[in-house]
Amino acid sequence: MITQVAKRFVKTVLPLAQGLSITFRHQPPFHEPITVEYPEQKRPMYPRTRWRHVLRRYDNGLERCIGCSLCAGACPARCIYVEAAENTDEHRFSPGERYARRYEINMLRCIFCGYCQEACPTGAIVLRDDYELADYHRSDFIYTKEMLLEPIPEPQEE
Amino acid sequence: MAEQELVTIEINGIELQVPKGEMIIESAKRIGVDIPFFCYHPRLGKEQAANCRMCLVEAGTKQPDGSVRMMPKPQTSCTLPASQGLVVFTDTVAIQKARRGILEFLLINHPLDCPICDRGGECPLQNNTLFYGPGVSRFVEEKRHLPKAFPISDYVVLDRERCIHCARCTRFSQEISGDAQLEFLKRGADTMVSTFQNTEFTSRFSGNTIELCPVGALTSRVYRFRARPWDMKSQKSICTRCSNGCNIWLDYRPNRLVRVLGRENEAVNEEWTCDRGKFGHEYISSDRRLLSPLVRRDNRFVTASWVEVYQLIASRIRQAVEERGAGAVGAIGGAHLSNEEAYLLQKLMRVAVGTNNIDHRLERNQVAGGDTLLARLGVPFTQTAIADIEKAKTIFIFGADLVDEQPIVFLRARKAWFRFGAKVIIAHPEPTETELRFDEPLVLRYRAGTETTLINGLSHLILQSGRAVTDGISLEELQASLSEYTPARVAQETGVAEDALREAANLLGEGTVILCAGRVRNHPEYAVLANALVNLTLLTGNGSRGNGGLNILLPEVNSHGAADMGVLPDLLPGYVPVNDREARERIERIWKASLPAEPGLSTQGMLEAAAEGKLQVLYVIGEDIAQKYHDPELAQRALENAGFVIVQDLFLTDTAQYADVVLPAASVAEKEGTFTNTERRVQRFWKAMNPPSPDVKPDLNIFAELAVYLGKPLPVFSAEQVMEEIGQVFPAYAECCYDQMPAEGVRWMPTLTDRGK
Ligand code: SF4
Ligand code: SF4
Ligand code: SF4
Ligand code: SF4
Ligand code: FES
Repeated sequence: MITQVAKRFVKTVLPLAQGLSITFRHQPPFHEPITVEYPEQKRPMYPRTRWRHVLRRYDNGLERCIGCSLCAGACPARCIYVEAAENTDEHRFSPGERYARRYEINMLRCIFCGYCQEACPTGAIVLRDDYELADYHRSDFIYTKEMLLEPIPEPQEE
Repeated sequence: MAEQELVTIEINGIELQVPKGEMIIESAKRIGVDIPFFCYHPRLGKEQAANCRMCLVEAGTKQPDGSVRMMPKPQTSCTLPASQGLVVFTDTVAIQKARRGILEFLLINHPLDCPICDRGGECPLQNNTLFYGPGVSRFVEEKRHLPKAFPISDYVVLDRERCIHCARCTRFSQEISGDAQLEFLKRGADTMVSTFQNTEFTSRFSGNTIELCPVGALTSRVYRFRARPWDMKSQKSICTRCSNGCNIWLDYRPNRLVRVLGRENEAVNEEWTCDRGKFGHEYISSDRRLLSPLVRRDNRFVTASWVEVYQLIASRIRQAVEERGAGAVGAIGGAHLSNEEAYLLQKLMRVAVGTNNIDHRLERNQVAGGDTLLARLGVPFTQTAIADIEKAKTIFIFGADLVDEQPIVFLRARKAWFRFGAKVIIAHPEPTETELRFDEPLVLRYRAGTETTLINGLSHLILQSGRAVTDGISLEELQASLSEYTPARVAQETGVAEDALREAANLLGEGTVILCAGRVRNHPEYAVLANALVNLTLLTGNGSRGNGGLNILLPEVNSHGAADMGVLPDLLPGYVPVNDREARERIERIWKASLPAEPGLSTQGMLEAAAEGKLQVLYVIGEDIAQKYHDPELAQRALENAGFVIVQDLFLTDTAQYADVVLPAASVAEKEGTFTNTERRVQRFWKAMNPPSPDVKPDLNIFAELAVYLGKPLPVFSAEQVMEEIGQVFPAYAECCYDQMPAEGVRWMPTLTDRGK
C-alpha cells in the first residue's frame, strides 16, 4: 500500500517539480525577463520581416515607383490599385516617362506575402517592419500613395 | 463559290488536307501547331512582307519514291504556299536555334521598357521571347538610341527605339487605308518608321496601326498609361459614332472607360475601326455627365428626385392632352437609342399619350423611311451587304466623301478596288479626300444641284447602249421621260465632259454598287433623285438581290433601327402605315390598346408647330437639336416657344439649356440592347459599367416608368423581353431574340409583305 502511494507520488509530483524548475530557472531573479513592456518597449524585428509597405525614393528625392502596375498584377489578394500618368519636365515625380498618380493598398485585404515587393522592377514598394496597423475605420485601411511614400531624404551635407 | 482544290501536306508528321496555296502559317493553325510570328497578318496586303523571319520552318517535298527532299534552308511559313506532298517541321533543333537567334537579334536594339510600355502584358515580343527566346542577352554594349515618346498625331505616339521594322503599319497605311502616310526612312540599323518629313499622321484610320504594331512602338496617346491589361475588363459593344455598327471592345477599369479596341466581325468591320470610333467614346467617362434629374426653378436648374420629375412631366402631358388634345405633345429622337428603347418610346407616345407626333430624323429629307426605295426596290435604305461591297465589279460613289462619312464602308470599297480590281467612279461637286485614296478613279465633277440630271443622263446612255436590263420597269415610259437627257445636254448642265459620261455609263452594269450618303439624303428634291437612282439601279440589272445595288447610307448609329421601330410620324413598327386599318389593328391586338389613325407631325412639323406655340410639350431624347438640326434657328425658336420642354440626354447640351426638365440617361456602356446598322444588321451590345451615379437610368427604364406615371403602364423587365415583343410586331425581327442571335448579328431581309400589304 505504502509503496504504491510512494510510487504514485514519484510518478506525478516529481515531473511536475522538474518542469517547474525549468520555469523558475527562467524567472527573475535567476534569469532576465523575456517579455517586453509593449508598447513602451519594442522588440527589434528581423531584417526580412514583412509588415507595412513603404514606397521608396531615390537619393535625389525622386520616387522610385513608375506606376507600372506589376505589383498589382502580382498581388494574390488584388489589393493594390495603381493609376499611372506621364511625367513632364515641369512636373517630374520619377525618372523616365511614367509615374504613379494614384497608388493605394487595401491593408485589410493584404496578406503580407511580399509578392508586390518581388515583382517591382525598381525596388519601389517594400515591406518594412512597422506592424502597428490597427485602426478604427475601414476606410482608414486604404493606404494612399501619400501615406506610403518615404519622406524626401535630407540633402547630404558635404 | 468554286470548290477549292485541296492538297495533302504534312506538318510535324500530321497529315492534313488544306486548300492549295494556303500559307503554311495558316495551315498550322488548323491543327493547333503554334508558329510564332511578328510581321504576318492575314488581312494585310496581297503578299506578306516576310521580313521578321520569326516564322521559319523546315520544309521539303515528298518524292515519288516516298523519300523526302528537304529544302536547303529554313523557309518563312507566312509565304510558303501549301502544295501537294509538302512536308513541314516547325519544331526541330535548327528551328529552335533560329528562333532564339532572331529574338536575340531583335532584342539587341530593343530597350528594356516593358514596365512603362503600354504594350507590356499583351506584347507579342514579350510573349515570343518568353516562349521561344534566349533567357539572357549577350549584348552588353550601348543600345541604339532614337527619339522616344514622339507624338506623330493627336492620337498616336511613336517610340522609335521599340520598333522592330515589321512593316505592318506601313503596309496598313499603303494597302488598307490607302493614305500611305507611314514609310520607312533610311536603311540598316538606322531604319525608322516616319511620316513624310515628320508631318502629322492625319490618317482617319491611324488607330488601327496601334493595334497592328506587334510591339509598343506605336501606342495611343488617349490610352497612354491609363491601365495595364490585367487592370481592366472588356465587354463586347457596338460603336455609336456612325451607322456602320462596327464591333468593338470596351476596356474599362472601375467606372472608367480606358480604351476601345476593334472586335472582329467579318460581315461588318473585319477587325478595323476608324479613329472616330476608337478615340470618340471618351464621352462615356466624361466628368460633365449629368448625374441626377434637373428641374428649372426661377430660371436655374436645381436637382430633383425622379418621382418629382415624373409627376411633373405626367401632369404637364395630361394637362396638354386635356386642353389641346394629344396632338399638342411631340417627341423627337431615337436615332441614338437602342432598338428596344426606340420601340418603347414610340409605344409610349402612341399608347400612353395617344399621338403619332414622333420622329427621329434631323435631316432635311423627312419623307417616310426611304419611301421610294421601299416601294420600288423593297428595301428601306440599302441593298448591298457591307461584306458584299468587295465583290462589286464597279463602285459608284455618288455625292459622298466616303472616307469621312462612312469610313469602314470606304475600307470595303477600297478593298474591292485594291484586292479584287473593281472599277471606281466618284461623282462629287468638290474634290474629296476619297478620290485621293484610289489610283486615278473616274471622277465626275458635276455642278452641285444637278445630281438628278447626271443620274438621268447616265440612265439615258445605258438605255441607248442597249445593255439596259428591263425587268421590273416599263421601258417606254422610261425612254420617254429620259429622252431629253441627251449626253450633250447633260454635259452642258452638269459640267461633266461627255466622254467621261460615256465612260462612266460603260462601267455601270451588273454588279455595280452605288454608295450615297449625306448629300443624297439631304437633297432638296430627294424623292426625284431617289427615283432617278432607282431607275439607274434597275436599268443596270441590280434590282434583285445580287451583289450590286443602291445604298443610301444613314447618318446615326441607329437611324435604321429607329425607322424599323416606327419612330416615324406615319409608320408603325415594321413600316406599317398608321392609316392602314387592317395592319394597324393587328398591332393594336398585340399591344391591347387603340392607336391614333392619323399620321402625326414630322420633326420639321413639330418644330414649326412649337415655334408658333402650338406644341405644349416637346420631349427631346438624345438629340441636340439646337445644334444639330439642319435648321438650327428653327429648332431654337421651337425650344423657346414650346410650352414645356423635356430633354433626356447624357450631357447638359445646348438643347438642354432650353429645357424645363432634364433627365440623365445612361450611355451605351451602361446598358444592353441592340442596334441596327445601315445594312439592316441587328447587333447586340452588352452592359460594361455601372452608370456614373445611381440616379442615371437607361432610357428603357425611363420610358417604362414614365408610362406608369401616365397611367398606362407598359410592363418592361428587360431589353430581352422587349425584343421578343418586337419580334411579334415586326416578324423580320423574330430571329433577333437574344438567346438565338449569332455572333455576327442578324441581317434582316425585307419582304414587301412586312409592310402589311
Ligand atoms: S504583400 Fe502580398 S497581398 Fe499584400 S499588397 Fe503585396 S502582393 Fe498584395
Ligand atoms: S511599386 Fe513597383 S511594381 Fe508597383 S507600380 Fe510602382 S514601380 Fe510598378
Ligand atoms: S514593346 Fe513589348 S518587349 Fe518592348 S518594351 Fe514594350 S512590352 Fe517590352
Ligand atoms: S512601328 Fe510597329 S508596326 Fe510599324 S514597323 Fe515598327 S514594329 Fe512594325
Ligand atoms: S511572320 Fe513570316 S517573316 Fe514575319
